[in-house]
Amino acid sequence: MIDDDVLATHRQELRRGSVVLACLLVLRTPDYGYALLEALDAKGFAVDANTLYPLLRRLESQGLLTSEWNTDESRPRKFYRTSDDGSAAADLLIRDWQQLQDAFAALKDES
Amino acid sequence: MTPTLTDRYVAATLRRLPARQRPDIDTELRALIADAVDGREEAGVPAADAEVQALTELGDPVRLAASYADRPLHLIGPALFVDYTRLMIVALSTVVPLVLVGVAFVGVQAGDGILATTRDAGLAALVAAFHILFWSTALFAVIERLPALRARRTQQWSPLARAALPERGLDPVTIIAGTSVAAVIAAALVILQTVGPVFDAGGAPIGPIEPSLWNSGALLLVWFLAVASIGTAFAGHYTGWGYPQAIANAVLNVLFAVPVIVLTLSGSFLNPDFFAASGWPDGVGVVGWVIVIVIGLLSFTDFVDGFARARRTR
Repeated sequence: MIDDDVLATHRQELRRGSVVLACLLVLRTPDYGYALLEALDAKGFAVDANTLYPLLRRLESQGLLTSEWNTDESRPRKFYRTSDDGSAAADLLIRDWQQLQDAFAALKDES
Repeated sequence: MTPTLTDRYVAATLRRLPARQRPDIDTELRALIADAVDGREEAGVPAADAEVQALTELGDPVRLAASYADRPLHLIGPALFVDYTRLMIVALSTVVPLVLVGVAFVGVQAGDGILATTRDAGLAALVAAFHILFWSTALFAVIERLPALRARRTQQWSPLARAALPERGLDPVTIIAGTSVAAVIAAALVILQTVGPVFDAGGAPIGPIEPSLWNSGALLLVWFLAVASIGTAFAGHYTGWGYPQAIANAVLNVLFAVPVIVLTLSGSFLNPDFFAASGWPDGVGVVGWVIVIVIGLLSFTDFVDGFARARRTR
């Protein structure tokens, strides 16, 4: 019988970092914080609001995202978009992900 | 107008952020909270509950602000923790014993009694320990919070930095055996000095130690030296022996050996009456030389051995 807490920790460790890649991919079309949170949630990436919002700013300061205020609607919203550097980083991360997937598949076949 | 829950939440977050980040995060955070409240209301949650739920989801504003400002939520992180404990242990195991002996020395010089000297030396050692704990913690907490300092830090660990197996200093068995022998000698001296079996013509006990020296309380210092050097040896066993411990050990040895040898040679350590009364008048000279040679050799070998052990540990 596996301890639920232990399992939860391992799953969290495995998912850590996947949110960054998901953000870079989703934000190839510009979007604002809350809508991104909903979109990630709908696609199965569980992330907390208080993790996502500071993360967006960190990615912006690293040059992977750019931002723009949109004042067309009733409340001003900050829209984030994946930069060229961000796209390049996303391609690299996707390649890493696929290599991992292949490696796991190979391991599974061997056993 | 009374501030809303959101106003209070945003204010609590902004207060903990650098001024240049505030206006931008102010506007964005309000919009994010309003969006979350709208989302919940559309899902059928009553307006009052929706705001509470949205803010609860964002969590403690202190944590949120730390996350926005990229500030650590720990005092000293894993990158610095090993250096922190190492510095603290080295400082504790060398400075505290020296403070204990130093204050006891001053107390005896000033003619304070046994109790007063013990109390002062103990308190001073405790205060020194607290200072070391506090200041090394403060220093590393500051380094943790200044990214420029954090990045500049430290030589990298390398297996080559310690070629030999780590030297642990003396092992506990040796330390305990040495302590027991010293305790037996001390007890024998006290009994000889105050109880007998050697008495003068008036029937009062005569001891082997010169009475004026005994009554001055200066021998109390030996007790402090013993405590300090046993403490250093034990600490060295558990933390690894290095040059700081070797230096403390050397200072303690010099503080012990030099006064004993000088006093013995000048004739103010041993009591000639004791040897005369026990029927061995030449004994004062013979025992005096034995003391000078034994103490001198033991202290010298321990002095040198301390540095040799530190050297092997590098």
